Amino acid sequence: MPEIFRTRDVIVFAKGDTIPATVSPDLVTNGWPGGQGVQWLDTGSDEIAVARTDGNGQGFILWGSDEDSDRFTGMTRNQPVYEFGTMCFGGWLLATRTFETLTLASARTVPIVYTPNQSLVFSLNGLFTNEDEWTVSADPRAPNDNVVGVVVQPPSAATDNFMTLQLRL
Amino acid sequence: MPEIFRSRDCVVLLKDDSYTAIVDATMVAAGWPGGQGVRWVDAAPTDEFRVTFSDGRVAGFLVWGSDEIGDDHTAVTRNQPHYQFATLFGGSALILTTSFEQFTLASRLVGPLVPLTYGVNDRVYFSLRGLWTVEDEMTISGHPQAPASSAGYVSQVPKSINNFFVGIQTTI
Repeated sequence: MPEIFRTRDVIVFAKGDTIPATVSPDLVTNGWPGGQGVQWLDTGSDEIAVARTDGNGQGFILWGSDEDSDRFTGMTRNQPVYEFGTMCFGGWLLATRTFETLTLASARTVPIVYTPNQSLVFSLNGLFTNEDEWTVSADPRAPNDNVVGVVVQPPSAATDNFMTLQLRL
Repeated sequence: MPEIFRSRDCVVLLKDDSYTAIVDATMVAAGWPGGQGVRWVDAAPTDEFRVTFSDGRVAGFLVWGSDEIGDDHTAVTRNQPHYQFATLFGGSALILTTSFEQFTLASRLVGPLVPLTYGVNDRVYFSLRGLWTVEDEMTISGHPQAPASSAGYVSQVPKSINNFFVGIQTTI
């Protein structure tokens, strides 16, 4: 039985750095889960802004744009309405359900197996993964050496299929 | 119009580790800007934490310059070089600074000057004189300890709207 309540996309055990940031139009339109990987965005104005990452490892957004736990509260969907998110980087220990579950190499048909201590990068979707999707997709930036952390606890029934991560961004 | 007051060489939006370090005689004599990259030096026979200008190697950066305009006519005017100390920053900070290379190393050496282009999410290093740059100058110059360690990412490119400060997410 899980020992820890996991009622949000990201459960924080040890907190790193956080700063509010403007989110890109793509994120506002499509929403995002807590734990979404992001990279810096140049909007042309003098603001701190981020966009969904495609493999770069600058940080992640702590809270999703429309999580169940925010429903029927004063902050329901306040992030996309006001076009901001909480940008996180530095050192973290957290559990999340925001990670790739199927390999890109299999066209998202074969499950990814996570094991403790594996290095993690962000996928082309900006989710945590142990697969170098830049290499798989023949991206000119390959290989992706933007390691953002390691697996502490692989997803399992005992963890409500959350994965625990130690991050260093 | 800029949204953030940038009245010093290095503006800190998010702070991480900081520590007081002794600066060596070279730095005392030359002075330094806020945001200056530094490396460790052996302080033997004394038991001190001592730094000097980075040559691409990374210990951290000095948050305050030795003689910034913001310190003039105050009680801290030039107190750092006088007492031979500085505040060393490291870890994962978010800063805005004017202490970055404007031109490529090759063009600084032989000319004519070629401007560096900074892009968001570019990795940044310390140059051979300890300023932030997107070039790995240790590799370009054949430094025996090349390649340079990355010290962060560009979070905001220098432009008129931000008074030509560069934004940096440090990963030191």
